[in-house]
Amino acid sequence: MNHQSHTPILEVSGLHVYYGNFHAVNDVSFTVNAGEIFGFLGPNGAGKTSTLSAVEGLLKPRSGSISVAGFDIHKQPLHARANMGVQLQATSFQPELTISEIISLYAGIYGAAISYEQILSILRDIKLEDAAGKRFGQLSGGQQQRVSLVIATIHDPHLVLLDEPTTGLDPQSRRQLWERMESIREKGHGVLLTTHSMEEAEAVCDRIAIIDHGRVVAIDTPEALIDHYRHDPEVISVSRKGKITLEDVFIGLTGRAIRS
Amino acid sequence: MRNNIPATSTVLNALLRADFTTQWRNRRSVVLVFLVPLIILMSWKGLVDKLGGAFVLSICITIGLTAIGLMGYTNSIARDRDKGIFQRLRVAPLSTWTIMVSRLTVQVVMILALIIAVFIVGFYVDKISLTPAGYVFGFTMGLVGSAVYLGLGQMIAGLIKNPETVNATTRLVYFAFIMIGMFGELGMLGTEVQTIVRWSPFGSVKRIVSDSLQPAHWTIQSTQALLATIGYAFVFSLLGIKWFRWNTK
Repeated sequence: MNHQSHTPILEVSGLHVYYGNFHAVNDVSFTVNAGEIFGFLGPNGAGKTSTLSAVEGLLKPRSGSISVAGFDIHKQPLHARANMGVQLQATSFQPELTISEIISLYAGIYGAAISYEQILSILRDIKLEDAAGKRFGQLSGGQQQRVSLVIATIHDPHLVLLDEPTTGLDPQSRRQLWERMESIREKGHGVLLTTHSMEEAEAVCDRIAIIDHGRVVAIDTPEALIDHYRHDPEVISVSRKGKITLEDVFIGLTGRAIRS
Repeated sequence: MRNNIPATSTVLNALLRADFTTQWRNRRSVVLVFLVPLIILMSWKGLVDKLGGAFVLSICITIGLTAIGLMGYTNSIARDRDKGIFQRLRVAPLSTWTIMVSRLTVQVVMILALIIAVFIVGFYVDKISLTPAGYVFGFTMGLVGSAVYLGLGQMIAGLIKNPETVNATTRLVYFAFIMIGMFGELGMLGTEVQTIVRWSPFGSVKRIVSDSLQPAHWTIQSTQALLATIGYAFVFSLLGIKWFRWNTK
């Protein structure tokens, strides 16, 4: 946490995203600073992935501005993307390519030419030295996420976007991925992380935004959010253990109803 | 320090290497695409004297172009779009046209390989020999004709999102083109169908390929067929690009 500076790597301001008449993202604003892991939490359909897609430049917002390392994502999309690394929710690579070929492809695309020896060294770092000749589909979920994260960070980006990267992982794999996120933060880079896991948010995030029905309803450090809503009747009513947790705050703010 | 945009040549180089590797790993399906026109070419050996060498070669090349454009290219982009492979590429610092240029380059190389294979089998098995100008002109018209089928494939992938439906549709169109095109062209389905087939995408491409193999026989009808081919390619590509979406959601 002490690596955090107040230099914004990602600035999102007044973002509005529509799908037809459906207002998916409504006036969302936040910043991610250098050396910060910023958590983006919300129930299903709250607008997390839409916000992330707008940041990635995959969808065009109705209004608002997004800047990555000082580059406007719509005016200078290639410059902005050169400074961000992305791990999509459902990562997929060409099933015919081996892991080393996939890494080589993305290294080339990001202009970070690397040799086969360097690829092996990268794979050794993530304990996948035997996977160079394997196909992506042959790896376990945790191994796939490690490879995806390596590819997302192969060009040493200033901002890393991680869309629910630990979903479906076992505790060991999840811890490993947290350590990788923390090492990105230690380098002074920013991380925008979406997750459904409150434990994960509390464990790794420096700050959190809770989004619901397309709007940011709270934004602060996990500790400050818990402190701030400790006496909120809604939060107290959903508390299960007598002690207020981040999950209590989240459910208190977003409601108990199950979202589709 | 901020990262720079990689050079387009670097990006294209990486994409081409990956796309050619993918094609190489799918070589069994490539062989199947080549097999149909080559089997027809060999089995029609006895018809060469009756129909003419250029006619037989042009039918086989046109069938091969249809298979590559409709089944190879279309199914690969429909699958990769559905699997999110394009979405992953699109969040990288590259222009989307580089993704398609790389994909199309692989198909163009496939088309060149197919035409060479047809010429070689035609020469050694069917004893069909052309003038050097015929081979060169035939190559050129084969490439022009392939634009029709690549454009048509792009249009189908633009209209239909589900990759399995795309697969079924391209097989159906391929089958219809071969059956109606081949028998219609020979006049076996009546004169009206023959006229329609002659000016259809199949007939136009077949005509320009056939006439280009014998440059001395190029007539005003050949030029009209060439214009029709360019028109089909333009319209199909335009609609294909307009309707194409990079993701299926």
